[in-house]
Amino acid sequence: MAMATSTFSPPASQLALRRQPGAAVRYHLLSFPRLRAGLRLARAAAGEAPVEAVVDQPLPSPAASNGAVVKAKEPAPAPLPRFRDSRWVNGTWDLKQFQKGGAIDWDAVIDAEARRRKWLEDCPEATSPDEAVVFDTSIVPWWAWMKRFHLPEAEKLNGRAAMLGFFMAYFVDSLTGVGLVDQMGNFFCKTLLFVAVAGVLLVRKNEDIETVKRLIDETTFYDKQWQATWQDESPPE
Amino acid sequence: MASLSSSAAAARATFMPSSCQSRPAGGGRMARLVTRAAASSPKLPSGRRLRVAVVGGGPAGGAAAEALAKGGVETVLIERKLDNCKPCGGAIPLCMVSEFDLPLDLIDRKVRKMKMISPSNVAVDIGGTLAPHEYIGMIRREVLDAYLRSRAEGAGAEVVNGLFLRYEAPKEPNGSYLVHYNHYDSSSGKAGGEKRTFEVDAIVGADGANSRVAKEMGAGDYEYAIAFQERVKIPDDKMKYYEERAEMYVGDDVSPDFYGWVFPKCDHVAVGTGTVTHKPDIKKFQAATRLRAKDRIEGGKIIRVEAHPIPEHPRPKRVAGRVTLVGDAAGYVTKCSGEGIYFAAKSGLMCAEAIVAGSANGTRMVEESDLRKYLAEFDRLYWPTYKVLDVLQKVFYRSNAAREAFVEMCADDYVQKMTFDSYLYKRVVPGNPLDDIKLAVNTIGSLVRATALRREMEKVSL
Repeated sequence: MAMATSTFSPPASQLALRRQPGAAVRYHLLSFPRLRAGLRLARAAAGEAPVEAVVDQPLPSPAASNGAVVKAKEPAPAPLPRFRDSRWVNGTWDLKQFQKGGAIDWDAVIDAEARRRKWLEDCPEATSPDEAVVFDTSIVPWWAWMKRFHLPEAEKLNGRAAMLGFFMAYFVDSLTGVGLVDQMGNFFCKTLLFVAVAGVLLVRKNEDIETVKRLIDETTFYDKQWQATWQDESPPE
Repeated sequence: MASLSSSAAAARATFMPSSCQSRPAGGGRMARLVTRAAASSPKLPSGRRLRVAVVGGGPAGGAAAEALAKGGVETVLIERKLDNCKPCGGAIPLCMVSEFDLPLDLIDRKVRKMKMISPSNVAVDIGGTLAPHEYIGMIRREVLDAYLRSRAEGAGAEVVNGLFLRYEAPKEPNGSYLVHYNHYDSSSGKAGGEKRTFEVDAIVGADGANSRVAKEMGAGDYEYAIAFQERVKIPDDKMKYYEERAEMYVGDDVSPDFYGWVFPKCDHVAVGTGTVTHKPDIKKFQAATRLRAKDRIEGGKIIRVEAHPIPEHPRPKRVAGRVTLVGDAAGYVTKCSGEGIYFAAKSGLMCAEAIVAGSANGTRMVEESDLRKYLAEFDRLYWPTYKVLDVLQKVFYRSNAAREAFVEMCADDYVQKMTFDSYLYKRVVPGNPLDDIKLAVNTIGSLVRATALRREMEKVSL
């Protein structure tokens, strides 16, 4: 059936698309899923979540075939392994298996879900109504997300702000003689403080400035496209 | 004379009572145009009626021709292929059935359940909030288009089988447009059709995404998506699953900026996907869509493969002189969902109403300002809908993380109710403000969690 074979178009082409669009590397990358699939099968059989990096052996280089980029003539590919994890039961994570010392280890749940999404992004699977996925990330409580993602970032930013603030206060004091308490009472200083805080929150890297500019453009682009027809209206006679 | 001008004023008042006082999206500039009187446009010589050519016989052309003919305008509808099966998703909202008085036997299927499937195969069923009388109607375009054209013919429009070639603008201010077209007539024996011309006072371009009228009038280009679709005939037991259900797949594998779908048609399903930015890879996206739906369409036979461009935004110029565009030709397809049939028919209808009002039921000449009134009214009525869908697309189709958040949000009952209300009735009913705040908080929460997981995913190496 034309459809059955064509559904197995190798996800490698998507890998090649996303990661390295160069044609020369495509041949090399095409070989990966075969090996990855083999290693995944082994891991799936073991029912374990792998933590070690994939060790890939390079196939004979393209140079062996006179330098021409040979499209790998694949025989009907073996079905790629579906995502399997002993803790993934009935389309959701079985929280009882994540117990650590009586309480649920939410970090492990987040890790497991991240791994599952990564697997499926690399190897999209057919969905089936019998094994419907019903996992919802909101079952992980808000404080688990905070502890894991927000707090380290907040610590970093607060640390930077504190260092900056201390030295700025010292600097201003040495230049003008105005002490810390008097500095806080000054309107100009308060404005500077506000600008500094806002800047640090919005602009973490240099690229963020471009991102903010692009976002502003994006929000009004569609409006401009709709207004285009009114730009050239002729004045009434 | 007094009765004519008062009837013209009455026609104007009934057509657009509110646009005179409204503040259209473009600001005060538009409001200035709206208050001109119709009685200043010249009466047509020797009492003849206004002649309008509608180029294209799809939903936009059919609706426009019918309204024009009903309004007393002499209408010619030119369609190049009377049995055309336009490649189309084929979904129409409930308001279209009531606004256009469509008979229910046009609708092949009533979809009441939709499944949204995220990149990691999280599946959410929506449709639980629909009332028993609410549904998304699935139609065959050849059936709908033929029906609307027959109604136009019944109202007095002349339907001509021909291919529009070009038009010549009038040389004097109130002159006629000369339309050149290829007339197809099986009885004449000529294979390519014979070249013919006729004169009209106004042209309505309803000839779709590759509009020739738009090219002729210099309307400019738009960005467009390519929608690719395969019609698959699947075995009956598998067809039962799609009895009332449509599926929507989101993910980078299926489309980087759109979605893949499985829509049920009369006796088969349409499996397709689309993209704006990665058009050369459309076949890969289609293969990925088939893979995701593999279990449910296995054993099916592909009976037809089709593709068509879908405009992403309106053309820079939608009116020039007494030539205007409606439907896909103008670019009235929403973002995010890619819905076009309803807006095509509605814009055709509104354009026709504007012409009828501006010409005082076909007795006076129309002007560009009358056509601009249709544009102003359409923009005013539907701008919020288009903008909201644009924002949704920008926020939720950005990346796999955003798509996961999108599918997670769809599980919420309030979201489902708002989505269906705005889709089925094209109205944005303000809900309970408390619910709106909860929705905003939940949306931000979903997006934040999905982005956090995305950052974890980058650290994972399988």
